[in-house]
Amino acid sequence: MITPGPQHTSVVARVQSVTRRFGDHVAVDRVSLQLRRGQIVGLLGSNGAGKTTFIRMLLGLLRPSSGVVSLFGDPPSRNTRTRLGYVPQGLGLYGDLTVAENVEFIAAAFGVEVPVLPHQLDLVKDRLVADIGLGRQRELAFTAAIAHDPELLVLDEPTSGADPLTRARLWDTVHEQAERGVAVLVTTHYMQEAQQCDRLSIMASGRIVAEGTYRSIVGHTTAVGVQSEHWADAFNALSSAGLAVTLDGRRVRVAGTTPDEIRSTLEAAGVSAEISVGPATLDEIMTMVGTT
Amino acid sequence: MLAMIRKEFRELRRDRRTMAMLIALPIVLLVVFGYAANFNVSSIRTNVYGDQADAVASLLQSPFDSETVDPSGTTTDAEDALRDNEADVAIVANPGQQPVAYVDGSELFVAQTAVGALTAANAKIDAAAGTPDTSGSAQTSGIEVEVLYNPDLETSWVMVPALVGLILAFIGTIITSLGLVRERQEGTLEQLAVMPFRPSDVIAGKITPYFVVASLDMIVVTVLGIVLFGVPFNGNVAVFALGAVIFLLVVLGIGVLISTMSQNQGQAIQMALMLLLPQILLSGMIFPLSSMPWGVRWIGYLLPLTYFISISQGIMLRAAPLSSLWPSFVILGVMAVAVFGAAILRFRRDLAPSVSRDEHATSETPDDDPPPEPATPFAAGR
Repeated sequence: MITPGPQHTSVVARVQSVTRRFGDHVAVDRVSLQLRRGQIVGLLGSNGAGKTTFIRMLLGLLRPSSGVVSLFGDPPSRNTRTRLGYVPQGLGLYGDLTVAENVEFIAAAFGVEVPVLPHQLDLVKDRLVADIGLGRQRELAFTAAIAHDPELLVLDEPTSGADPLTRARLWDTVHEQAERGVAVLVTTHYMQEAQQCDRLSIMASGRIVAEGTYRSIVGHTTAVGVQSEHWADAFNALSSAGLAVTLDGRRVRVAGTTPDEIRSTLEAAGVSAEISVGPATLDEIMTMVGTT
Repeated sequence: MLAMIRKEFRELRRDRRTMAMLIALPIVLLVVFGYAANFNVSSIRTNVYGDQADAVASLLQSPFDSETVDPSGTTTDAEDALRDNEADVAIVANPGQQPVAYVDGSELFVAQTAVGALTAANAKIDAAAGTPDTSGSAQTSGIEVEVLYNPDLETSWVMVPALVGLILAFIGTIITSLGLVRERQEGTLEQLAVMPFRPSDVIAGKITPYFVVASLDMIVVTVLGIVLFGVPFNGNVAVFALGAVIFLLVVLGIGVLISTMSQNQGQAIQMALMLLLPQILLSGMIFPLSSMPWGVRWIGYLLPLTYFISISQGIMLRAAPLSSLWPSFVILGVMAVAVFGAAILRFRRDLAPSVSRDEHATSETPDDDPPPEPATPFAAGR
């Protein structure tokens, strides 16, 4: 993990109490966030938590219903776009252009020189993007997003579907960018990747329900494991009690609670089970903060 | 199979556009095209020139409607009136000469009706004079009939200039309507929106290749029409090219506008076809606009193809100059500006919403801003 250094004092993006409604549905509810130079912020949350809507507002692709978004001290605009790089979930690459043609187009759009391709991409530079693997496509999206030396990098699930080696290479790039002073906002589902962020913000039902460093959020949280022949009954009893219950195979797990509370809840429901305690996973934490 | 049918019905019920096409469209098509599909010409704009103009004009009966009666007018005035589409028929009547009715052959059905009516009138005159016409030609002892610009009243001469426009409207609108929608479906439109492009840059960049290809198409189709069907090209090529360019901009702009209003390629094609179908039947290409009741004729005046046909037939067949065709050029120009303006506005609204300065409370973000609050603690237990 990068230790926050002095460069972290400069705010690149500031989001103040933004809300976005779609009819009666509130997709993002009074969310505030700051992104600083050299800092990697992880935005976590289950599907539908509001992460992508939030990112779209940050980038200026969606107008907030209320609240203020500020990029480099200004509202999102054509000028601010020149200073940010974005890797969307769908990568935003042209499948019917070659690797080299994609990079040429993006470099020309930003008015910069065509970047030197990493070795892995150079090997396939003349192939259509649709014909190369997902991992290479992600590397290409990264290369394109940083070609114009952005000051803010927004990555929406950038390593989803990539193999571990590619994922590691991509995170090396993220760290290199952060060390260069680039502010990075990244959404991820992977605990290992969340650990590499300087700060985490967890979203649930459109709101930030927890934020801080990985250690402060996950570090001391435990999960209680419940092993029972009647695992479905155990799951129902604990869910009914309003606990953050997850399933690992047929093993029921509950984060952010005590073994005693679990025992008493199961006894009241007439379910016998073996109880154990261990560190909570990020998914369990997200379930827990989304439940509370 | 029943499950499949039930599933299809459910999907269909929720697909409002397709439902509209299946239920409302047939009714609209029947009513509109039922009234529009009319080959009968009830009114023929007729100018009368020469010393006996007043006398001849007073004898004119339906379907001839005398618009201009000018005793000082000459044959040249008559030909100019037809060339500039100010009249469908121009009669020149001077003492001691057989009256001549010049008929604009570029207005096929009007010309056929006019020739038929004049021939019938001549037959009556001949019968009254006891000299029946047995030659079968349009020339009799009554009024000499001369068809200009399409002497043999060839259908292909009238259709080819119109088909050039229709083909380009189809190709231009459908292909362009798929362009931005494909970007939207593949997720690249969002990437474009975060690049430092103006909405107009994206739209111009998208349509330029289509414009170039469609321009080549236009040249090929026009040349082929001339070579294969023997259609003349009597007018100024540069004026024709100018009209074609403006028309292409309109149809490509309509395609872009459709693209901004569609979520997927299926929707885009549906919408494009709904806009293209009226152009075939209501633009005057098949049925004369003058034969349509005003209830549907006004739709024809909203269609770009109506004005391109006026330009292409005018230039190719009648050698009409820009000075007589300018209203069509102006209307097409206004349409081009309107559709591109609407497309840009929609594109901007969808993908690059502006944030007004008033809403942006903080104009400065100080470098020494304090770091965010420390981690929001939450209990390890509940």
